[in-house]
Order: sequence, then C-alpha cells, then structure tokens
Amino acid sequence: MPAGPGVLARVRGASLLAPGVGWLVLFFVVPLAFIFVVSLGSRDALDRVTLANPSLENYVRAFEPRFIPTFLNSLRYAAITTILSLALGYPIAYWISRYGGRRKILLLIIVMLPFWTSYLIRTYSWVILLRDNGVVNSILQAVGIIDQPIILMNTDISVILGMVYGFLPFAILPLFVSIDRLDPTIVAAARDLYADGRRAFLHVTLPLTMPGIIAAALLTFIPALGDFVTPDLLGGPQTTTIAKNIQELFLAGRDWPYGAALGFILMAVTLVGTLVALRTLRREVVGGD
Amino acid sequence: MTRERNRWLSVYALIVYAFLFAPIVVLIIFSFNKARRGLVWQGFTTDWYPKLFSNRELIDALVVTLEVAVVAVLVSTILGSLLGLALARLRFRGRGATETLLLVPMVTPEIVMGLALLLFFLQLFDAHGSLGQLWIAHITFCISYVAVVVRARAASMDPQLEEAARDLGASAWGAFRYVTLPLIFPAVIAGALLAFSLSFDDYVVTTFNAGVGSSTLPLYIYGKIKFGVTPEINAISTIIVAVTAVFILLAWRFGRLGGGREERPEEPAAEGPTAGGQMAEGQAAGR
Amino acid sequence: MTEHHDRSSIDLEKELTRYMIERRVSRRYLLERIALVGGAAALAPVIAACSTGGGSAAPSAAATPAGSAPGASSAPSSASPAPAASPEGELNILNWTDYLADEVISSFEDLHGTKVTQSFFSTTDEMYAKLGDDGGDYDISFPISVDVPNMIEKGTLAKLDKSVLTNIGNLGSEWQDPGYDPGNTYTVPYMWWTTGVGYDPARLKGETPASSKALWDPRWAQHISMLDDWQEVFGLTLIQLGYDANTTDTKQLDEALALLEQQKPLVRTYSTDTIGTMTSGDIWIGHIWGADRFAIQETIPDFAYYIPEEGGIKGNDTIATFTGSPHPVAAQLFINHVLDAQNSAQNTNLIYYMGPNEAAKEFIDPAILEDPTINPSADIVAKLQELLALDQGVRDEYLSRWQELRG
Repeated sequence: MPAGPGVLARVRGASLLAPGVGWLVLFFVVPLAFIFVVSLGSRDALDRVTLANPSLENYVRAFEPRFIPTFLNSLRYAAITTILSLALGYPIAYWISRYGGRRKILLLIIVMLPFWTSYLIRTYSWVILLRDNGVVNSILQAVGIIDQPIILMNTDISVILGMVYGFLPFAILPLFVSIDRLDPTIVAAARDLYADGRRAFLHVTLPLTMPGIIAAALLTFIPALGDFVTPDLLGGPQTTTIAKNIQELFLAGRDWPYGAALGFILMAVTLVGTLVALRTLRREVVGGD
Repeated sequence: MTRERNRWLSVYALIVYAFLFAPIVVLIIFSFNKARRGLVWQGFTTDWYPKLFSNRELIDALVVTLEVAVVAVLVSTILGSLLGLALARLRFRGRGATETLLLVPMVTPEIVMGLALLLFFLQLFDAHGSLGQLWIAHITFCISYVAVVVRARAASMDPQLEEAARDLGASAWGAFRYVTLPLIFPAVIAGALLAFSLSFDDYVVTTFNAGVGSSTLPLYIYGKIKFGVTPEINAISTIIVAVTAVFILLAWRFGRLGGGREERPEEPAAEGPTAGGQMAEGQAAGR
Repeated sequence: MTEHHDRSSIDLEKELTRYMIERRVSRRYLLERIALVGGAAALAPVIAACSTGGGSAAPSAAATPAGSAPGASSAPSSASPAPAASPEGELNILNWTDYLADEVISSFEDLHGTKVTQSFFSTTDEMYAKLGDDGGDYDISFPISVDVPNMIEKGTLAKLDKSVLTNIGNLGSEWQDPGYDPGNTYTVPYMWWTTGVGYDPARLKGETPASSKALWDPRWAQHISMLDDWQEVFGLTLIQLGYDANTTDTKQLDEALALLEQQKPLVRTYSTDTIGTMTSGDIWIGHIWGADRFAIQETIPDFAYYIPEEGGIKGNDTIATFTGSPHPVAAQLFINHVLDAQNSAQNTNLIYYMGPNEAAKEFIDPAILEDPTINPSADIVAKLQELLALDQGVRDEYLSRWQELRG
C-alpha cells in the first residue's frame, strides 16, 4: 500500500532511511568487516593478529564438541527468559495502557527506573536476597515452608530470575506501544461477540497486538542469547554460556581470530533462526506487519 | 465481572513493580552499611554519602556516563525512529536487507562489537578511545532497539490517516508532525527509555572504546570488584534513583506526560465526538 | 594503515636523531617500531615534537636528574632528591579501581604539578586489550610479571630511565634482578601475592585444613568456590598431583582435568570476585588470593587462609610505561614516586597486598607485615611456584580443557 504519490514518497522514504542506514553501514558494518577479516587470519607467536595466510580454518575449528553444552545453555536461557518475560510483561503492559490514563509514560519510566542503577550492585542485591541466609530463605523459613535453606544462588533458578529481571522492561515497553494502540471499543465489541473473555482475548486482542509481541520477543531473545554477565555472576558451574566462551577466547585465550569466527557463527545461527521465525510468524498472522 | 478482573490485574501490576524494585530496596538499605566491603550488614552509617561527593573519580565517571547517554539517546532515537517508521510504512526493494541490517547489531556479541569498533578507530584514525568514540559506539548499538519499538507501533497505525491529512491539505511535514508523530510518540519515548538504559549500564563495548578521561560509571564500578566494592556505589545509585523519583513525582502531579488519550479508567466506551473516528480507524486496523 | 601527509619540509634525519637522543631510544628500536606500527604512526610523535619547536622533551631531559625544582615542595620521602616539575603536566594511568592510594596520587600531583587521570579495567586480559601494542594513550599500567617478556619482545614497554629512579634501591634484594625482566630494565615490581585456600573456621566446625584437597571435600559440597582463572585452577590442581604448575605434558593436563571434573559437582561457583563470594555466606571454603583475606576479615573476623602443604602459587605484577606513552617523563617520575618507601607502604596498607619494597616495611601496618600468609618467610616462599607465560600452543591445550570443564 503506497503511502502517497510516487516521487515524493520515494524522496520521503529515502530521507527516512538514509540517516539510520548510513550510520549503521559506516559505524557498524565497516567495523564488523574489520573483525571478519580478523576471523580469517591467525596469530603470530606474540598473539598478534596476522593475515599472512587467510583461511576459513578458524570457522572449521569452531565446531568443537565442548561448545555444544554452552550453546544449548544459552539457547535454553534465552528461550525461557523470552517466554517468561512476554508472559509476565503482557499483563502489566496492558494494565499501564488501560489504567494509566495521563500518567502512562510515567508508569513506563518507573518500570525502567531500576535499570538506571549499577548492574553490579543490582546483582549483589539479588545475592543478598537469594543466598542461603538471605532474605528469601529467611522468609520461607520464618513462615515455615522449609526447614533448611534451599540453594537458590548459583543455580538455573538464580540465572533465569536474574535474566527475566533484566529483560522484563525490554518486553514491557514494546508490548505497551502495541497494546496502547488497541481501540477499547473493539475490545468491548469482541467481548460482546465472543461472550467469553478468554476467547475475545485470543481471537481479537492478541492478534492485534502481534507486532508488539514480535518486537518484544526480538528485544528479549536476541540479547539474551548473547548475555554472559548474568549467568556468570548469578550462575554456577553448570550455567556457562557460549557468549562466555567467545569472551574467553578473545581475552584469556588472546585468540582474536578464533573468537571472531565463533562469534560470527553464533551471529549467523541467531540471524537465520530469527529471520525464519519472523517470516513464519508473519505469514501466519493476519494483520501483523 | 469487569471490576473483579481489573482488581486482580491491578494487584498483579503491584506485584510486578514490587519485583522490579525489590533489589533496589536492598541496594538503598545497603548504602547505609557500615562495612567497607562485603555483603553483610554491619551497622548503620550515612558516611558514604559525603564521601562520594569528595570522590573525584566517581563523580567524573557519573558525568561522563550522562554525557554519553544523553547524546546517544538523542541521536539514536531520531535515527532509529525514522528507520522504524520507514520499515513499517514503506514497501521498497531493499526492505528485507534493511530489516536484516537492523537485526545484526542486536545479534552481535558485545565483545565482537566492542573490539570491532576499537579496531575500526585504531586502524583508520589511530584513535585510542575517547568521548566521541563512545558516542558513536553507543548510538550504534541503540539504534536497532529504538527502530524495533517504533516499528511495532507504526505497524499498527493506519497509513490512510496520513493520506487523509494530505488530502485535507496538509504538507508532507505537516502530516508527519500532526498525525504520524503523535501517534508514534509513545513508541519514540519508549525507545528513548530503552536506549538510555542500554547506554547507562553498558560495560563491554564501553571498556574498549573509552579513553583517558572518558571512563564511565560501569567502568569505575567493575574495576572495584578486585579489591572490594564499597557502599559508595550503592549511595550514588540511591541518589540517581532519588533524583529521578523526584522528577517523576513532579511530573505525576503537574505534568501532561500521559501520551495517551484522556480516558477515564474503566469507561472506555464513554467518549464523545472522537468515538466515531476511532471506530473507523479501528475497523480499518482490524482488517 | 598508511597515512599520506606531506612531510617533505622537515629534515627527517636530523629530527629523528634528535628525537632518539631525547627519548633515549636506540635506532634499532625506532626502526622496529616503525615496522610494527606503520610509518606515520611511529613518526607522529617525532613530527609533533618538531612542530612544537622541540617540544617538551628537550628541557626535561636535562632537568630530571638534577634538582632544579621550580615551585615544588620537598616531600617527606626517604631517598629522592628535590623533585622536578614534570614538564608534560599530565599523566594517564590505566588501573584497577582503588589500586593506588589516593594520597600517593595526590602527593605526586602536588610534587610535580601534574594532573593524574585514571582509567579502569576489571580483568588483566582486558588491560592488555586496552593497552594494545604500544600502550595507547596510557602512561602507566600494571602488567603481570609473566606477560612482561612477551611485551618486551613486541616492543610495548619503554625502557626505564634509571637516573630518574633514585628510589629503586628500596627494592628488596630478591627483586633487583627478576627472571622475567633482568635488571628491572623495563619494569619495576609493584605487588606480589600468593594463591591458596581460604575458609571460614566457624563453618568448618573447628577443622583446620592444610591441604588443597580440602577443596575436594564432599562435606563442604555446594559451599566451595574456585577462581574463575584457568591458569590458577590448573596450577593448583597440577601441584596437588605433584606436577609442575606450568607443565606442557598433555597427559598430566588430562589427569588434572579429570580431577577437576570430579570436583565440579561440589563447586558452588567459579568466580574471581573473591571478596564478594566469600562474604556472601554461601561459600565456606574457597580458592583465593592471599591478600584478599584481610579484606574478607573486615566482614568475617576469623577468616583464615593457608598456602596448601603441597605447594602454592605466587605471582607479582609490575608497574611499567609504554613506547607509545604521551607523557614519558611524568611516567618515569611516577614510577619513582611509587618506589618511595612511604608511598609503597600506603599502597600496601590500602589493598593489603605486599610490595617488593624493603624500605617500606617500616611503614607498613604490622598486622600485615607479621602475617605469615601475606608475608611468608623465605622457606615457604621457596616452596611456591610461579605461573609462567605459556607458549601459545600450550596455552590452547590448557584453555580448551578449561572450556570443556566449564561447559
């Protein structure tokens, strides 16, 4: 559906796109190309990158069995975090939109406010809450639900909790912008039509807010896949992620070419997976963009 | 029936906000911890607050962080919003490629992006990190997030509205300013909020692009891990929260930052003259 | 990598010679640098010095060893002459946060009329990435001893000007000629440490372990922590098995890996945030650096530390300046400043790590000085092994096993 008469629309289109695309090409694609070239190189004896014998060897080497468990970890955490963030974020985005009135944006800012403190201190605060003699365990014991403290820190539980905590706003905001577009009269009409609130939700509200859901899923899943700090600080021996492996190869291993290759493979897998998912979703969902 | 469901929803919202703020409450409490290092409460003191004001490096770091974040948010919000709008509304040949281009920064591991930018600036400009480099780096990783959020909003917007405005005699800019912009405004704000949070707390990309005199708060704080993180950090975080809370309170009382229609809660159908327009819009959107 | 500028108007040969004399670099070194970094980049400081009329380098070279000190007050330090103002006026340090005492920095600023700017990193590998091949914009940083030989070979480190380093005599005799940098030509040792085992006696119910095997004790399952450092962890394990901590024998590495895999279900976390983890209360016994014990004792007063009877690890870092440093004179002055007995003591008293400074001992907090785990006697020190810089291939062997363990 064209958005106006021919030439003008093209000019307008170009002016909308050019700055952003231009910026990304110059300051993202070009630097990425540098690292790509690095991935084709190797190290000299002093750990400096040399392009003497460019090859795809690092990419071949990247398919090591020891990276599989960590990749699966990353995948698992990202998937669970996304699902939980969407599920938990949708109702609150709905609430802000419906009942926020004039103060909707303020309520959104309040959602973001915790993240304008230091990430490290927030993590320490979670340690204080979740450790064996921490707040959560103390409360559970005081109330009588448990006798001995349960191990919460350095487990999958603490990692997922930390990741959901970190990504929830990334889900709430895009969900909100889409839910906020909902016409309440449509929702009311749907309820009359379907007589059952749940079906009204499933058949009308949900599809109408699909762009927001897709955006929220993107903004949660993709960064979560690359998050290594949260599993590192809140996790234990079993929670290592592929992102941490990549980081280690660059820094501790001083092997930039190898790290770069592994990084690019992760990027390619994530990108392809995301694009496939997006195409599938868009084909199936009417009205979504 | 509606009232009960609404109450549950409000209770739920309260729980979520409590969840979001639980660690913050802990953080604030521990800013009064007497212990210099460690995670155990050892008594109450307010000493950390005056101490942090005489900590030149900490204050400098905060200032740099804000300098970076403000510029990053401004530029990335503008560029990202334009991109998001274009992707949502226009059909053009490079559309798929542009969408992919948008996704790649998000897909890139932070260490790869940080070192890529470091190499770029080092090889091309012999630069070793600076405030300007940080601006560029932060803008770059924020654009995608803003674009995705604005796109989601613009995607559910009826393009016929803008056309209608044009038909009624508005110029291209006028149609944009009076029709499109207000409609996507909440998304622009949401994108800006996300961008600010991303920039404020960024570590990996920042550490490889910061130079002398451009250390940010995260860099200062993470450097403390080795020898013990002191409650000064809690104190400065508390101050940030307090200052922002004051602004929010003021805006709550006096501002008009709703961005939404002037609805009275729980009476969605009770709108007069605009109901017709919304109906038409809703019907068109619900195709 | 090449820049094209018109430099034909400058007599390059003459300027090069003058630059080399002022900066006391050899012709060979300059040529090496040009080859490494690219012509224009290497010559840039020369050109810059030329265009500012010989710049700051010339007068300082004459002034530093002598005592002409315009406007500088003399400091209460033991062995330095009347200090000179550093002509560059600025100094950039790349550092852990809080690794230099505030007083040491401010006294340097006052003494030499120099503004000090610190930048930070949180892991040693990050430090090296930020320093790059010539130190970037940084004048001072703290490379670990084992990484020094490589950095010397790469031409990253700048030679020390011994005429400026009048305090160098303060170093203990064992530090005057270290293996990694003979004669302290490029670096000066900064702090040294041991790595061993720390525990909370209350949690271990009165037990006093002495072996690193205590970290494998199933009674403390889920309350054990290990360092998130592949070289330290493998070092400890190899020593426990009776091998060299820097072995190149892959069969020995496999044995170590097997032992570590056995330990893994008992380990709560692998972390270098020793102070955070040990004070959280969840960890009862952990693999830690010795000096951290004092910091932990601020929270857990009875916290104990021991060097395993099988043997432990020792290490040290150094303070160094770089070939690309923008303020080389100030850097040398600063290194000398740190070598001062009282300044060194102030640093030790802040971070609890022991310095190599013999003369400083009279100013160090006695609790630290008398602690046999921070300041062990010579015979214990003899039992400690140092983690060396491994060859690339060997390092890959260690790291791949480490990643397998952590996966």
